[in-house]
Amino acid sequence: MKDLFTRRNILIGAGGAAVVAGAGYEVSRLLRKHYAPTPYDDLLARLDDREAAARIGSAVELGEYDVKTAAAYLRARLKDTSLSAAMAQDAADGRLVEAHGWVLPETLALLCALAAKVKA
Amino acid sequence: MSAFIDARTVAEGTVLEPDLAIVGGGPAGISMALRLAHTRVRMVLLESGGMSFDAKVQQLYDGAETGAPYLPLDSSRVRYLGGGTNLWGGWCRPMDAIEFEQRDWMPHSGWPIERHTLTPYYPAAQSLCEAGPWLYEEAERWSADQAPVIALGEGGVATRWFQFSKMRGSPLPTHFGERYADDLKHVPNLATYLHANVTKLGLAPGGGALERLDVATLSGRRFTVKPKCAVLALGAVETARLLLASNDVMKAGVGNGSDNVGRYFADHPIPRDIATLVLFAGQPAPFYPQNQLIQDAIMRAGLFPSERYRRAKHMLDCSITIEDEATLDDLGKAALAETAAALGVDAGSASVHSLGGGCEVTPDPERRLVLTHERDALGMPKLKLQMRIADADFAHFRDTLKELGRQLLASRVGMLRLNRKERGEWLDGLDWGNHHMGTTRMSADPKTGVVDADLKVHGLSNLYVAGSSVYPSYGAVNPTLSIVALALRLADHVKGKLG
Repeated sequence: MKDLFTRRNILIGAGGAAVVAGAGYEVSRLLRKHYAPTPYDDLLARLDDREAAARIGSAVELGEYDVKTAAAYLRARLKDTSLSAAMAQDAADGRLVEAHGWVLPETLALLCALAAKVKA
Repeated sequence: MSAFIDARTVAEGTVLEPDLAIVGGGPAGISMALRLAHTRVRMVLLESGGMSFDAKVQQLYDGAETGAPYLPLDSSRVRYLGGGTNLWGGWCRPMDAIEFEQRDWMPHSGWPIERHTLTPYYPAAQSLCEAGPWLYEEAERWSADQAPVIALGEGGVATRWFQFSKMRGSPLPTHFGERYADDLKHVPNLATYLHANVTKLGLAPGGGALERLDVATLSGRRFTVKPKCAVLALGAVETARLLLASNDVMKAGVGNGSDNVGRYFADHPIPRDIATLVLFAGQPAPFYPQNQLIQDAIMRAGLFPSERYRRAKHMLDCSITIEDEATLDDLGKAALAETAAALGVDAGSASVHSLGGGCEVTPDPERRLVLTHERDALGMPKLKLQMRIADADFAHFRDTLKELGRQLLASRVGMLRLNRKERGEWLDGLDWGNHHMGTTRMSADPKTGVVDADLKVHGLSNLYVAGSSVYPSYGAVNPTLSIVALALRLADHVKGKLG
């Protein structure tokens, strides 16, 4: 029985895998939604789906919403914590915002509102 | 065993002289009669209807309504033996201690008795309602294995339990008339008169005591009952009507020296689809949306504001139930997906439900029953209900729902949409509990109530009221169980007085 793990076969296999991985990444990159760069991409990257978030954000019931102020607030809120933890803390502290009746943690609602403003 | 007496066959001009006359054969009146069975108290029970629905008798309930949308006065009650239990849903739950307390944030609150006064009577009331073993408090301590309740964590809303009445040998709740007719017939010290309408409370000169009850039938027969003592157990609408209409000696009506009779009318608003509940992990336990047989009791879980939360946040009471499955619109789907992803929870099998429930209303003296100039077939003045409901009452309900939404997020088990906000949204399709309360409120001070802590009408020595008309404030749970408990307590009091 021939040895399959020859130097040649390993190199061919590794090369093939790299090609497949590269192609997969490219397909994924092509399929992923593209957005023009914004000053808030560090924040918006926390969202699962910016389109869906923007839809929610359009329904968020906020008073005066200044994008820069909101972004600064969100960066402070999320500086040393995950979005998940920030949301849980919002709920624990009663910081809630409604979006067409949906009761949302403030951090998520502000992020969604940011996505809506940026999209607009 | 003695059969019931058809009042239409009683000789004209007859005078009955029992120790006690119970006016009204609903759950309160029947419970009192059964409690006093085989005692030395000679009783008559006077019921306007017969043993089944009769449109002509029901027509006696006809009245008018103005103000906020409400049910027609002749549609939310049933006028035959068993009264309101002929149409109830069987929901049972005792009142909490907070309902009896004077609360600064709730005008006109405060009962002259405390919860523990009723505690000894609840088990017997539970038995009469046939609601199974008393499990309300025990169920709140069940482990997750015994009862997998929604893990809401710390907060103002918690799972609590309803128990349900079920009539022996029937799938229906206990209809007190049908269920206890034979028992009443076996009570040797009781005579039950059907088709007997009390049309007037005749007071002694000076108005300090009840002297006689004028009784009439739709067939035109009239007779008199001269009891040592009488209990009005007609429901919150008819009790007020009879007191107001008996105005020959006391011009404002019996017990109405302080103009409280008929005021503070209340019911529980039952708005539908008040919120949309999403549970990330899937379906709730089956005892949330439907009744389940648990430990020999028919039970259903609801979501209630805790007493601690209500005191801290100055909230009215409410009950929240999980109803039918619902669907999400595009925004709802987006909110679910984004929230679950951001929380880091898997919502792939999330379930969506509509929420229902009922809420308490603030006692309001201007929400009242007044007599009109129209007369019914017996010559009694008809009533008009001036209905009101405050925006603040809906706001309390919404705030508690929002608290539930907060807890769902904090514990990462779900999320909530509040479906009603503006007054018009709350009133759209609003249903009511048919829980008439408050028109002869209980108060230690005659200036602020109609009956005292013993349920005796202020200023009269021998006239009492049973039923939820004596509630000064209302809570949000269905009243029948507490009506029966109060009636049993009153029976013991009357027995002591007549003893």
